[in-house]
Amino acid sequence: MSCTKLLTTQAYIDDELDAAAALAAERHIETCAECAALRAEGLAIRKALREQASYHRAPEKLRAAVRQKIGDPVSSPSVAKGGFGALAKPGRSFFAGAGFGAALALAASLLIFVLGAPVRDEMANDVVAAHIRSLIGTHLVDVASNDHHTVKPWFAGHSDVSPPVGDFAKAGFTLVGGRVDYVDGRRAAVTVYRHGAHVMNVFAWKDLGDVKPGTRLRNGYRLLSWEKHGLFFCAVSDTGQSELVRLSQLIQSSDRATE
Amino acid sequence: MDERRRRFEALLLPHLDAAYNLARWLSRSAAEAEDVVQDAMLRALKSFDRFRGGDARPWLLAIVRNCHRTAAKRRASFVSVPIDEEIDGMTGDIPNAFRADTPDPESAATANAERRKLDTVLAALPEEFREVLILRELEEMSYREIAEATGVPMGTVMSRLARARALLKERWLQSEGASS
Repeated sequence: MSCTKLLTTQAYIDDELDAAAALAAERHIETCAECAALRAEGLAIRKALREQASYHRAPEKLRAAVRQKIGDPVSSPSVAKGGFGALAKPGRSFFAGAGFGAALALAASLLIFVLGAPVRDEMANDVVAAHIRSLIGTHLVDVASNDHHTVKPWFAGHSDVSPPVGDFAKAGFTLVGGRVDYVDGRRAAVTVYRHGAHVMNVFAWKDLGDVKPGTRLRNGYRLLSWEKHGLFFCAVSDTGQSELVRLSQLIQSSDRATE
Repeated sequence: MDERRRRFEALLLPHLDAAYNLARWLSRSAAEAEDVVQDAMLRALKSFDRFRGGDARPWLLAIVRNCHRTAAKRRASFVSVPIDEEIDGMTGDIPNAFRADTPDPESAATANAERRKLDTVLAALPEEFREVLILRELEEMSYREIAEATGVPMGTVMSRLARARALLKERWLQSEGASS
């Protein structure tokens, strides 16, 4: 009685299929009760685990102990914890923080993995630096709201860019808020989403000139960039590629809805 | 700080949370997880020359996993409690393993109760199933990345994941039944 395509259906819910195979899987699920049930259960388990299971972040004392063990004499808790809000002011280098900045500046010389046409190296580093800063500092959002009717007008008043903002909580991407950040010497409007245990920052600028859309992996973080209506977007997170692609599609389709 | 070490920090430190989360779920103890992660980071630093580039997370998690195995074996040879009993018994220090290290943003008591219940079910799964669920659903890793971290073929990842999901569902329903 067991369907022979259960593993394919599982691969479908895990985003492991290419577009053609995914389409075929969708058609099959429509006609197979067993696979339809598997998909529903798989998604319910995913939702439960991401929302309810504990994600254990490394305690601060472990972080300090690891740094000490691997012999890092530079970094101290004051560098890791304080000061990043101040660094976000214009005219100051992002890389002013001692050990952290040095590490990222060095990462600039390491081309790790490129798919498609990349954003520039410095830009990718700045985006990742801003992302990490938003995670470890106190400055994740300037305006905290899961209502896009609050976040979008806030951008209009505080930034020269007003990117599309949506709450995609039903699709697993909860709007956290917005902030203004400085990346690569430019002001960027940043929309912040949460997906499971992961924070996703979506940067938006206009007039970036030579930057092309594409995907990159840098410092363990994935970046996905695209361009739409003269705005340039770069989403960054430590999630998988498929989650970034999905968020990007949601943002682009919400943009279309408001046109 | 030399250049190799800087490169190591830039590539590996962003994955410290992932390393700790896996170690914590595998060992089900905060103290053991800390030891395992420290051990893993040192081993990673020693064998960093063998890291071939790309995403460092699966590579680091493979080391975390090995360190956990080694520590668990060492422990088993000292303590007389068989591993199986520890996994199935759900006694002793296990409730302690679920205290969050950071303040929980969802302070509602019901959310915490749900969390504890699912944590308990997940923690009681056999290790290979618990591990594949953590990597897929909490770390959101691809099959290929999970295969790299766990050192098994992708086909095994897929069948384990299917069995893990079925087992979690079954035990979850049992726990729902027991509590209502």
